[in-house]
Amino acid sequence: MKPDNVQIIDRLASEYVLGTLRGPARRLFERWRASTPLVDQRCRFWEDRLMRLAKGLTPVQPPAHVWTAIQRRLKLTTPRPALRRMRSFALAASVLLVVGLAGLLYWRGHQTIHATVVSTISAKSGEHIWELEVFGNMDRLVAHAARLPARPAGRDYELWALPKGGAPVSLGVLPSEGASSRILTAIQKRALAISSQVAVSIEPLGGSPTGQPTGDIVFVAPLRTAS
Amino acid sequence: MNPAAQSPTEFDEQLQSLLGRCAAADADALQRLYALVSPILFACVTRILRRRALAEEALQDVFISIWQQAGQFTAIRGRPMAWMMSIARYRAIDLLRRERFAPVLVAEMPERRTPDDEPDSERSSAVWMPPAELMERCLALLSDMQARCLEMAFVDGNSHEDIARLIGSPLGTVKSWIRRGLRSLRQCLES
Repeated sequence: MKPDNVQIIDRLASEYVLGTLRGPARRLFERWRASTPLVDQRCRFWEDRLMRLAKGLTPVQPPAHVWTAIQRRLKLTTPRPALRRMRSFALAASVLLVVGLAGLLYWRGHQTIHATVVSTISAKSGEHIWELEVFGNMDRLVAHAARLPARPAGRDYELWALPKGGAPVSLGVLPSEGASSRILTAIQKRALAISSQVAVSIEPLGGSPTGQPTGDIVFVAPLRTAS
Repeated sequence: MNPAAQSPTEFDEQLQSLLGRCAAADADALQRLYALVSPILFACVTRILRRRALAEEALQDVFISIWQQAGQFTAIRGRPMAWMMSIARYRAIDLLRRERFAPVLVAEMPERRTPDDEPDSERSSAVWMPPAELMERCLALLSDMQARCLEMAFVDGNSHEDIARLIGSPLGTVKSWIRRGLRSLRQCLES
């Protein structure tokens, strides 16, 4: 199921979001969405619009044990009030202790979590624009925005892997400030594994509507193995 | 803070901020997000699954997905409530498929309401719903049966066959109402 016709894609996306696309067709469509930016974009269009159909829903408070189960499954712990008071006291009593602890946590964090692949996208002046880090087995991409040049109004910067001998594969829209983190799909992982460079293009808001760069390629940067 | 006291835009921004913190593994942000949106997401999965225990299981899965995929949301942006509600609805539809139980037949169909029919209290309570004037105008162009079938599919998770059985109309007619309803929305939204 790989129709090229945009209208067919849009019709399938609307039925998928509505929930009437069922059975094997739904599962196939989900896989297609995960690997094809245009399909994903049309689904998000319909998700935003059809949500209006649910305006009559009346909120229902879930029982408390649901949150407890979520915390248990995610292995989350939140400090209890008494511990918070103790922590506040400790903060007030010893700034040095906190600084030391923060330093230790920083050191431990950098001892245990390493990026496997990194890239720096820079302007011609040498100024860093984005720092990219790929973690694990090409599982997660983190992009840190540094000093961005002014971008055209109503446009986004989109990142592309440039696999050897293949077409560019979108790695998503880059943040204009702060950092973004995304789980890579199987296709993105494969593309990144055989790429030695990444590129950045200027695209409509939300990313290229075709799945390939449609605007100017404004930056190209090498990928390197993290030391 | 009572979310009803904020405008939808402020609410959206608040959700976006919390999702950004979830992406950075901030457990307090997830707890705050849960307090804000779990009632509407629980209502959403309960309407589709119609079984409370299953809806509770679905809600757990939904928040685990939100926690794990928050980084993806911060990359694609968009409307946070639409993103979270989609996770909830798709999970509930998946569970429907797994459980393979028949929908509970509802003898009386809810009457279709227009925005003017909604009491003020209901309109103000739907702070989680971002404004969408164009979509409202497009929905108003649908025939009663088109709108009713779309709502029965989207809100209650009914298949074509379920809807045909519930309203006592031929399957082909129901498919046609839904197809034409979606086509009408598409043309209206893009005009």
